[in-house]
Formats: sequence, C-alpha cells, structure tokens
Amino acid sequence: MERGMTVKPEMTTGLVWSALADPAHDSQRLFRQILAALSEPGTLHAIAVAEPPQARLGAALWGALLTLCDLETKIWIAADLDSPPLREALTFHTGARITNDPANADFALLTPESFDPDIPFALGSDSYPDRSTTLLVAVERLENIEGWRLSGPGIAESRMLDIGDGSRALMTRLAANRASFPCGLDAIFGCGGQLAAIPRSTRIDSTRIDGANAGEVN
Amino acid sequence: MNGYNFAYLDEQTKRMIRRALLKAVAIPGYQVPFGGREMPMPYGWGTGGVQVTASILGADDILKVIDQGADDTTNAVSIRHFFQRVAGVETTTSTATADVIQTRHRIPETPLRNGQILVFQVPIPEPLRFIEPSEQETRMMHALEEYGVMHVKLYEDIARYGHIATTYAYPVKVDGRYVMDPSPIPKFDNPKLDGNPALMLFGAGREKRLYAIPPYTRVESLDFEDHPFEVQTWEHTCALCGSDHSYLDEVITDDKGGRMFVCSDTDYCQTRRGEVA
Ligand SMILES: [Zn+2]
Repeated sequence: MERGMTVKPEMTTGLVWSALADPAHDSQRLFRQILAALSEPGTLHAIAVAEPPQARLGAALWGALLTLCDLETKIWIAADLDSPPLREALTFHTGARITNDPANADFALLTPESFDPDIPFALGSDSYPDRSTTLLVAVERLENIEGWRLSGPGIAESRMLDIGDGSRALMTRLAANRASFPCGLDAIFGCGGQLAAIPRSTRIDSTRIDGANAGEVN
Repeated sequence: MNGYNFAYLDEQTKRMIRRALLKAVAIPGYQVPFGGREMPMPYGWGTGGVQVTASILGADDILKVIDQGADDTTNAVSIRHFFQRVAGVETTTSTATADVIQTRHRIPETPLRNGQILVFQVPIPEPLRFIEPSEQETRMMHALEEYGVMHVKLYEDIARYGHIATTYAYPVKVDGRYVMDPSPIPKFDNPKLDGNPALMLFGAGREKRLYAIPPYTRVESLDFEDHPFEVQTWEHTCALCGSDHSYLDEVITDDKGGRMFVCSDTDYCQTRRGEVA
C-alpha cells in the first residue's frame, strides 16, 4: 500500500491540461488500476498522469476522466470543482458532454463538501442497476488508517480507509447502498495522484464515531 | 501492427467495455449489457471472452489461454495466436506465470493468486433462460430475487435421478444476491469460485453480456439441506501424474477399447510430471 498524500485546494499555475501521452497503452494501464481499485475496495493506486492545472481535482481523477470518458458519456460537475478551463479541457480531450442534470450523468465530479444527499444522481433500476452515476470524488486524504472499515466482495477480511474530514455525509450515503442494492452509487476517490474506490457492494462501518464499538452507518 | 489497433478493438469500443466491466465488479454476479463488436471469429469461439481480454490486456501482460483445461486445442491456440498478433503479448502455458488467463470450460487446478485475472468465455449467460425465454422476464426475476424456479429445476433432478444431475454450468449465488451461470465449467470447479484471490470476468459475445466475481467474494452453489452440493469424484488417479485430486478426462488410448483417465488441466499434469522447467 502506498501512503496517501494531502492536497490543498488552491489553483496551481504553470500547468496545462494534458492528454495521455500514449492513449492506447496509458489508458489500458490506468483502466487496470481503476479496475483493481473497484475490485478490491479501499486499495490505493498511484496514478502516473501529469498533474492538471486545477490542483483540487488532482492527477488521479484527471487520469480517470481521460481513461473512461468519451462522446458517449455525460459528466456532472459540482460547483466547487467547476471551472471554464476544466469544461473546455474535458470537451477537448474526451468529447464528453457536460450535463446540469445529475440524474442524467454517467459520472459526477465532486468533493465530500459539495456532496449533498439530495442531489438526485442516477441509482439505476432493479432491472438495470448498472444505469447509475459513478461518483468521482476529490478528497483531501486517502490512507489505509482508521476512519472507515470496509468489508464485502474484494476484501478478504476488512480494510481501513480514511478519506479525510467532512466526509460523513458522503460515507453515510455510500453505506446506504447496502439497503438499495443492487441500485446505488459507486465512488472513485482521487487525492493528488492516489486513487481508491468504494463500489456499492461494500459494507461500511465507522471506526471512529462510536469508539471501539463502531456502529454501522445508516 | 498491420493496421490493427492495439489488441484489435478500437479505443472507443474498449472504453465502452471497460465502463461495463467496472459496473460488473461493483454489482457482483449481475449481467451488464454491453454494445459488443463483431470479432474476426465465429461466436462459438469465445468472442465474449476475447472482447473482455482485448479490453483489459496490456503490452506487459503474460497471457494464457485454455480450452477444457488444455493449452493446445485448436480454440486455445487460435485465440493465443490472435493476441500474439494484435497485441504482441508474451504467452505462457504456466498458470502460475500468467497475468491474464482466458478460459473455456475449466478453472485451473493450480490455485490462482491475487492480481491474476481469469476471463471466462460464456455461451449462455442467463441461468434462468431454460426456464424463461424472455429477457425482460428473467431481468424481472433477478430484480425480485425470484429464484424459486431454479430450486424447483434442481429438485426435479433429485425426484427423477435421486441426485442433482446437473454437472456443468451448475448455478451459483454470488455474495448472497445474484444467481449466476458460472459458464460450462464442471461443478468440480465451483468451489474454486468461492473466495478466490483472483478477479474473475465473464464475457458472452452473442448475447453481449458481461459479469464479474471480485476477489474474495462469497460464492455458493445452490443446493438443499437434504441434498447438499457435491463435486464429482473418481475411483481412478491420473494415469500420467498420479493426481488423486484433479478433474480427470477419460481418453481412448487405442482402437481395442483401451482407455485411461488423465488430468484435464494439461499444465497442472505436466508440472507434476516435472516436464516444465
Ligand atoms: Zn495428471
């Protein structure tokens, strides 16, 4: 496991929105990392992509966008990550469409702070649970330390993950995936160049709120 | 590479399949529809598995392809050659060495390790299809977890034969939720699906469906309290390596009715015989 890192949310100057240097091979390598992240929830993956000009977005999520998005995908962007240069770069490099309707979004770019349980992201239907919005969440910390205890598919016993302060509303929503399963939201986290994920199949308990006897978040 | 994109598929098709694969691992055992492409081989040749492999394979991966446990059958050889040609990847017959293993009808005897990916070729992805021909209806049955019919089918076996007669494509329940067809592997291999450290991906080309079992996922074979799930056993051991615990094929040795039992997993058998350096 690589150690996590902390990113401060100011803009970085002198950087450009760059594409993948070798599209076919770089996107394959990045996809396998994203696949591993979702297959084994909470594992950390170092994404080797040039840092984008918008520091809070981070290299990992920029790499995920370049890998997964194209003309067939729609992206919703929360206000705290939205910027004309980001929209322009996404359109230019991926062809993806930006949507203002979260229920219509394949991917949503947000932070734990801009997450609101009332945003009507697509959860899929009982017959087609795959027709859901995947959250791409820029977080301030990604570390395998106490915070949230993950278990379920992809995890032999349990795995600890901390995604930073102010994440309780988001994690409470992701914990509620168990009740709505198979409908739900899958989340991919980026912190600088680090990437991790929590799919809807994961059971989530807090290890902090109730001390030693952590209760399930619901 | 002779005008082909890396690994044959164009980048947009790969992205579409990759997005579907992420949904598949997030919803273990659920069949994700995908807009498959025509492949330069007939459907019976594992086009679903080939499309999955083409979408995940990297230049540094070492690929193994097996058919009924063997690396040297026509189907396995042609798929292996296809990826050598369109992706230039290194190939192997060794289960332990491979990063990606595409398979038809078997799970290798050598235990898989974390980090490996097993890609199954699936002819009919829907385990309820023989009961209900309508896709809309089977989707609804999965949505409502209406799996009673599956148990009725297995129980009819017991009533008729005194045991569950299904020996291939024996249905499983994944993480306590979706009933899934593990593809036509012998039920001997079903216990290997449970808690396996490797990622298992399933591709059906004709019906354009993908599904997945993440590593360390609970997978149970459907059964009954009074008729618990059992795997096949043999009175023989492998005539070549002496194994008393692998899946055996009966082979005819001459035209006078001579026959013997040998491991279906040729790499496993050869490794045991010390023929692989
Ligand atoms: Zn043998």
